[in-house]
Amino acid sequence: MEKNKYLLLASSLGALLLLIVAAQDSFRKPWRQIQSSGRGDEGPIPVQLRQITNANLRVGDRCVSCHVSMAPGEQSVAGAAIFTAHKPVVHDPAEYGCTVCHGGQGSATEEADAHGAVHFWPEPMIPVRFAEAGCGTCHAALQVPNREIFQRARLTFERLDCAACHRVDGRGGTIRPGGGGMEGPNLSRAGIAGYDKGWYEKHVTKAAKEQSGPWKTSFGTIDGADLESVALYLSTRVAAPALIEAKATFHSFGCLGCHRVSGAGGDEGPDLSRAGEKDPGQADFTHVAEGNGLDRWIAEHFRSPVAVVATSQMPPVAASQREIDLLTLYVLSLRRRELPGAYVPRDRMQATRFGQREFASDGATLFGAFCAGCHGPEGKGKHAVGGTTFPAIANPDFLGLVGDRFLKETIRQGRPGRRMPGWAKEGGLREEEIDRIVAHLRELGGTEGPAEDKWTVSSKPESGRDVYAANCSGCHGAKGEGGKGPALSNRVFLEIASDKYLLETVSRGRRGTAMAGFQEPSPTRRALARSEMESAVAYIRAWQGGKK
Amino acid sequence: MSAPATPPPALQELKDNLRAAPRRIFETAFRSGKPTTDRTRSTFIFSNVFLHLHSVRVHRWTLRWSTSMGLGIATTAAFLLTLITGILLMFYYKPYPEAAYQSIKDIHFVVPTGRFIRNIHRWAANVMVVTVILHMARTFYTASYRRPREFNWLIGMGLLAVTLGLSFTGYLLPWDQLAYWAITIGANIAQSPREVTDAVGITGWFDPGGMQKFLLLGSDSVGPEALIRFYLLHVMILPLALMALMSVHFWRIRKDGGLARPADADQRLGNPPGPVYPVFTEAPMKTYSLAAIVRGRTPAVGKGPENTVPSMPHLFYAELGVFMLTTLVCLALALISDAPLKELANPSVPENPAKAPWYFLGLQELVSFSAFVGGIGIPLLVLAGLGLIPYLDREETGTGEWFGGPGGRYVVRQALLVGFGASLAIEAFAIRFGWIREWYLAVPQLVVTILNPGTILAAVYGLYSVWLVKRYRSTRAGALGLFTCFLCGFLVLTAIGTYFRGPNWVFYWSPGDWPRH
Repeated sequence: MEKNKYLLLASSLGALLLLIVAAQDSFRKPWRQIQSSGRGDEGPIPVQLRQITNANLRVGDRCVSCHVSMAPGEQSVAGAAIFTAHKPVVHDPAEYGCTVCHGGQGSATEEADAHGAVHFWPEPMIPVRFAEAGCGTCHAALQVPNREIFQRARLTFERLDCAACHRVDGRGGTIRPGGGGMEGPNLSRAGIAGYDKGWYEKHVTKAAKEQSGPWKTSFGTIDGADLESVALYLSTRVAAPALIEAKATFHSFGCLGCHRVSGAGGDEGPDLSRAGEKDPGQADFTHVAEGNGLDRWIAEHFRSPVAVVATSQMPPVAASQREIDLLTLYVLSLRRRELPGAYVPRDRMQATRFGQREFASDGATLFGAFCAGCHGPEGKGKHAVGGTTFPAIANPDFLGLVGDRFLKETIRQGRPGRRMPGWAKEGGLREEEIDRIVAHLRELGGTEGPAEDKWTVSSKPESGRDVYAANCSGCHGAKGEGGKGPALSNRVFLEIASDKYLLETVSRGRRGTAMAGFQEPSPTRRALARSEMESAVAYIRAWQGGKK
Repeated sequence: MSAPATPPPALQELKDNLRAAPRRIFETAFRSGKPTTDRTRSTFIFSNVFLHLHSVRVHRWTLRWSTSMGLGIATTAAFLLTLITGILLMFYYKPYPEAAYQSIKDIHFVVPTGRFIRNIHRWAANVMVVTVILHMARTFYTASYRRPREFNWLIGMGLLAVTLGLSFTGYLLPWDQLAYWAITIGANIAQSPREVTDAVGITGWFDPGGMQKFLLLGSDSVGPEALIRFYLLHVMILPLALMALMSVHFWRIRKDGGLARPADADQRLGNPPGPVYPVFTEAPMKTYSLAAIVRGRTPAVGKGPENTVPSMPHLFYAELGVFMLTTLVCLALALISDAPLKELANPSVPENPAKAPWYFLGLQELVSFSAFVGGIGIPLLVLAGLGLIPYLDREETGTGEWFGGPGGRYVVRQALLVGFGASLAIEAFAIRFGWIREWYLAVPQLVVTILNPGTILAAVYGLYSVWLVKRYRSTRAGALGLFTCFLCGFLVLTAIGTYFRGPNWVFYWSPGDWPRH
């Protein structure tokens, strides 16, 4: 019975020891040690839990327990590298907190948990080099053109040497000798804060008046196209230069042809409106080299979609490393947060309430954003080995045959059953946007369409059966269902295409594609007589059914 | 000249009384005086409302470690630990969906030692579930449920149920993905009578399953109502029920003459090894007055105190020793391993696999074959079987001995083979070849309900124990076999459900083989 006594003694001592260990553990948190090395204006800073709270944004961020000098009113704390103050930004961290922009786990008080790359935390921190992705949480940069137009605007701005006087995105601008600040105003936020639209005239007047100094030596006249470019460049200065470039890049790879973002885009692939919020814990990293951040996953997915997601139908993106970085940045920026009314920024409000577009609505940008993915950046079409053939829609032969109505209706209604969605309804494009795409196609192809004509063939469909079987079915399928060539039995296609269009296409063919004109013989077959072609067209036309 | 400064008598009295007050308070609180002799120790125990649940003297057999292994006390200790830590957690916990999750995060990250306290709470709860099951096994294998302790066995079963209920209701409170989907699964198990009512086609007007689920959740799915319900059950109703049942459970142990022991326990123990400290310091006069009026087979009636020792301090040392040992284990576990906290509950992202708490995974495994059998059939059968044991086994041999009774250890060993063999075989078969539904898609659900691995396993166990009853002409032998088989089946099914079931409840050798999204 003595042994019970010893059991009691031993287990009590053990429990006491463990309690001491636990208490030690609890009171020696890293943030306490970090704070105890901090020095403020009046000596050592008090060691206490620090946090930024904002009830409206539902933020309670304890990040400042370690990053003390980012806490409200503690900018002057020094002592360790971690006490570097936040660089000056529009959104004061002391008000907005940290996680709104950077992600991570605000309630945590230990590094790994706070930075969020831990199990069971769906919103890890956005890597610093993609920091501008955080802007996308609340903001929607509007009217961003495709990359080519954007580059042109930027180069114009550089060429005109505006940066000699103006500071933009941390570069350029000269300080007046002898004080008086910068020569010209900082334009980094011209797209948000707005700028004087009559700036050019004023510059001209001022330059004419001044006798010497930079006004005389630095300013010259600017032509109309360059002025437009400068205006575009200024409108995209929203203090997030990398994000704008990323968005412009995204609008050049035709991603919206398959993916929807904020209500516009195809639905072949997943909606990307919140793709930047994907929980890395739910993503498969087995085939992603190095690291487990969402940025690694996205970048690898661009290089080889099938390797990362086995069931993906997305083709690999032929892009340089820098472009992939930009695309990754853009996808990371696709995130949302519920905001109380007062906090919804103007750009987001304009996008959600007033229907402003996030892409520029010129034809080239629209084509780059929506069409280039399948039809190629120049509209030359694409043929994936063993996959679908995407028609060369900028082919001059094709454009010479079809009227604008054909092009517009095709874009509006798409090709049911094929990859081409109806862009008016499913794709979310507006009439005027479709018109601009048509106009851009005309520019690409360089040919006007014919005047509309109602001419129809009069042959009997039965007579064309053999002609079709012998000459067309190889590429277009025995029932016109399409194969290497486009589908012909498509209802919408047949409704839109005139007989003349069909006949001329058969007869002349389409240069640069597998479709050769049947009016000339080829090494493998003879030329077709006009009547034979007409009968084939009649045969094709019969698939349309009763309606004519 | 003045008289010597003697205060008036009334003031003197007040002064004296004031000086004596501390002593008086002590004396009136503990009326028997300081427990320095056996006599005063005994009075001390039975005049204290908490201690009087103990008997005043305890048989030496009871104090052997092998008699009870301290499992009941360990369960109590674990409960007290959850009680203390639970009250501390309540200071910070907010029972409303997202606030609940945030408050757990705060407890984890900010509240001083909050993480540790939550870990203790979680581990003590799990230790409690384990020890309560082991305690039941100990009681069964030592045949301690027999007369006059039959009803205490039933109270014990009630305690088991309340313990599982406490643990289950606590599972939801963090409001993370783990909690949300485990409770969703649990609620669906409660809904399982629907399988039969659906098959018979009467769900429309008689739906006990749906009612049960609705009663549990207060809604059709897990939401704020369910959280409040679970919170109330967890912090008030179930703990009160548990404490009430526990008091009765303890009190009855004393009333039933302490722990069960073999009839020849005194002979086996032999004489006490030398004088037992503390010995009687006074002639025993009315020490047993209370015990003497208790009817029945209390140890002290008509017997001398030869083989008993005073509960104070001997039993107290043992109890406190087990208590502190349990505390030590819980503290160590709490230091080593953090209680889980997954992402915030998200009804639109189901966990796959969604698993119930571990002690229900055996049932979930059965539910995967047939909801009714796993959710209602087998549990009812097990409860009925367990509850009837003391009323069917009315034999005398082997009471108070490990694996006592006809067949004894041999039957238990054999039953281990049968229990593990049958459960592993039927599981292996079902995992390898599938079950009726996979072979004949159109088979009526009732057929699957009646014929599935769960029912077949139950039938095998049942037949085996009936055979044992015949073979040994003893209900106890059958009970030994059945109980052992039940434990084996519980272990096997729980292990498979816990470690070998992956997404869509498919069998995998290890979580490393699970397919990724």
